[in-house]
Amino acid sequence: MVTNAPSRHSAIAHDDTDGERFIETLYPWRRRLWIQQLLNWTENGVIIGIICVCFLLLISRFIPWANVSYWAFGIAIVFLLCAIGAALRYRPSFARSAHVIDTQLALHDRLSTAWELRDNSAPISVLQRRDALGQLSKHTPATTISLRPGRIRLLSFGIAAIVLVWLLLIPNPMNAVLQQQAVFQARLNRQIAAINQARAVIYNQTAISAQERAVIDKILRDALAHLQQSSSEEQAQQILAQAQSKLNQLRDPQASQKAQARANASSALQNSSNANLSNAGKALATGDNKVLDSSLQNLASQLNNMTPAQRAQLAQQIERAANEAQNNPQLSSALHQLAKAVADGKSGEVSDATKTLESAAAQDSANQATSDSIDQASQFLQNAANALASSTDSSNGQNSSQSQTPGQGQNPGQTKASGQGQGISGQNNTNNSSGKNEQVFVPGQVGSGTSNISVDGSTGTVQSGKPVPYSQVIAQYSQMAHDAINNSNIPPDLKNLIQDYFNSLEGRQ
Amino acid sequence: MANKRESTSPVTGVKTANEAKLEDLKTQSGDDVAISDMQAETEQPGEADIKTFMEIVQQLEDELCSIVVGQERVIRELLLALFSGGHVLLEGVPGLGKTLLVRTLSEVLELKFARIQFTPDLMPADIVGTTIVTDQSDHNTAGSRRIFSFQPGPIFANIVLADEVNRATPKTQSALLEGMQEHTVSVGDATRPLPRPFFVLATQNPLEMEGTYPLPEAQLDRFLLKVLVQFPKAKDLMRIIDTTVGLQTIQAKQVASGEQLMHLIETARAVPVATHVKEYAVRLLLATHPDQEDAPESVRKYVRYGASPRGLQALIMTSKVRALLEGRYNVSLEDLQYVAFPSLRHRIILNFDGLADGVTPEDLIEAIIEETSTS
Repeated sequence: MVTNAPSRHSAIAHDDTDGERFIETLYPWRRRLWIQQLLNWTENGVIIGIICVCFLLLISRFIPWANVSYWAFGIAIVFLLCAIGAALRYRPSFARSAHVIDTQLALHDRLSTAWELRDNSAPISVLQRRDALGQLSKHTPATTISLRPGRIRLLSFGIAAIVLVWLLLIPNPMNAVLQQQAVFQARLNRQIAAINQARAVIYNQTAISAQERAVIDKILRDALAHLQQSSSEEQAQQILAQAQSKLNQLRDPQASQKAQARANASSALQNSSNANLSNAGKALATGDNKVLDSSLQNLASQLNNMTPAQRAQLAQQIERAANEAQNNPQLSSALHQLAKAVADGKSGEVSDATKTLESAAAQDSANQATSDSIDQASQFLQNAANALASSTDSSNGQNSSQSQTPGQGQNPGQTKASGQGQGISGQNNTNNSSGKNEQVFVPGQVGSGTSNISVDGSTGTVQSGKPVPYSQVIAQYSQMAHDAINNSNIPPDLKNLIQDYFNSLEGRQ
Repeated sequence: MANKRESTSPVTGVKTANEAKLEDLKTQSGDDVAISDMQAETEQPGEADIKTFMEIVQQLEDELCSIVVGQERVIRELLLALFSGGHVLLEGVPGLGKTLLVRTLSEVLELKFARIQFTPDLMPADIVGTTIVTDQSDHNTAGSRRIFSFQPGPIFANIVLADEVNRATPKTQSALLEGMQEHTVSVGDATRPLPRPFFVLATQNPLEMEGTYPLPEAQLDRFLLKVLVQFPKAKDLMRIIDTTVGLQTIQAKQVASGEQLMHLIETARAVPVATHVKEYAVRLLLATHPDQEDAPESVRKYVRYGASPRGLQALIMTSKVRALLEGRYNVSLEDLQYVAFPSLRHRIILNFDGLADGVTPEDLIEAIIEETSTS
């Protein structure tokens, strides 16, 4: 039978050095674990960073992303730094080190318990610490805690690196789209600069009132603001068309008729045998109010020396001119008044009539100046739209040139537009390209007057007229239709019907 | 039932011989408890105590293994309970050596052993004892007089083998309850302490067998461990032939006394347990409850009631003993996982689905160990 030996706990109860020795022994293990953690986390950061880079590069193959490289590089660096920082910040504690070593060496929680009871002086705790130290002394940190990366980590790194290299080497299909966007942006910037210059030109015109200048300038300014935010050519064309529509709303609907009437009246006056009246007709035609004033003064002074028959003949000529100017009521009325005053031969009436005619001519000139400014602004916008469209044509031509005869539309050429867009007999350029980049063009018929747009390509071909984008045409037609409906006697229900029709067209563009 | 510590017979006013012995025992036991409590705070087992513990346990295990062949795990679990101061329920079909194991244990420990064969007609008084009328000589009158004296039952022993405990009715089974938990027996209006150490080693046949009464949950919970006795393997059967049917039979030799056993139990209690190990034990216990968030899906589905806090005490206490048996001075997570099966299997009450699907508590404990985080 075994008997219990007397307890010897008194010999070891106050052995405080064991606890300190235990901590000292654990130090190198903890340092080694920290280095291992630093390496592991850094490797994880690199792997995760590469995976994120791959992900971003993959996204950039489906969505145009100009500066994806900077983002990818930045994110990779951030992940790496975060991993290193976290590894440095959260270094393993003694308790965790003890637990990890317990697990790795299968020490059955000896170290964890010893660490927790490091200050306990009970005999069995001292024995436990000694046992833990004894077990730990059989191993070394270098042989137990490996700093080599694990197989799974190496495999993950290899796969991620291969995918990254593949993504970097294989051309990105979105690069072409990005190039097109860059080209478009450059063109847009050029056109924005041109419109800005136009703004300055129009703003410095003194022939029109300040209020009208401000209105035109606001329209151009708004258009510029929207253009700077536009991301596609269709959008830019739409903005330009809308600006043109707004400018057109500023026009006097009867301006052309009035101009024609004025021209007819001036022509009729120029045909007169009376030199003063003929000069007045010329001045009316050129809008030279000073010459008109002097001519009418001369005519008034001449009347005193004329016979009634001569005055009647002169009055008839003026009356004829008044009739020719019937589409310009103010001018026509002034001419009628002048004809009556000439026929009566009263100097006071003649003086009043000449003043009225000068006033009407001046008003007419002002209206004409306003109309010219609007035309000028509209023309600037039209030029910008044409420039954008022609560049797109050339780029589309470049895109489709692989299947076309060489030399057709490969260079953007020079676009020269003149007139006011009337009668552009452009051919229906469907631009055989199919797919998302297809743009529909229709023969342009913008504004009034005459136009002549020629495109000089490198091949020397000259096209008569220029197709206008459908979006621009439909916007203009919509505005014209809106104006026409509002200015006509169409019943309200039919107005709605017609407006619905144009709205439906807008929805399909 | 009164729980007074009245030593005088209410009928005769005279102490019987047995009662006097029991009174001495009680007084001594109460003093010992108080002293040992104080010593527990001041005295800690030293290196020699630990060494002694390991030597005794090794000898004990060797002796038991030499007699009971092929049941090493059962013997190890029995020793875990023994040095934890808890009771053991041995379950297995008849003929596997359960009774032999318990009898051998009593022989090697020099303890008073009593065997109770549980039968359906066994009464509680047959276990705890009863008061009988006896003749006692009266020196004053030179005659004799009849007095009531308490005749202790077989439960008044250090090691009580409750053989085939589930063959008795629940009423008789419950006669063990007070003794197992309080280490006292109340008969009539007197409460009598049981000798220390006191171990109940009950064997039971599988519940599927005819003529058995399942033990109530309250009584099951009082067993520290439930040990399953498996059928021996072929090579063990060969050894059984060699050791039991030959001319020479092996006799077990005595290894330790009851007093030593008590000291060894105190020694085992001093083994330190780290906080993370305690937390793991708590997580294991909570995982047996179906209403806990961390319980595995199988527990939620098949368990009606989980283990009680006694299960946690059993886990920690038996883990301490196992740590010493494994040559360590600390409890590890592996110790807990090892003792989880015998400590918790009888404390997990299956619901109808679990019984219908043939799920065993062992399956559930395995799932709990697998799914419970170790950190």
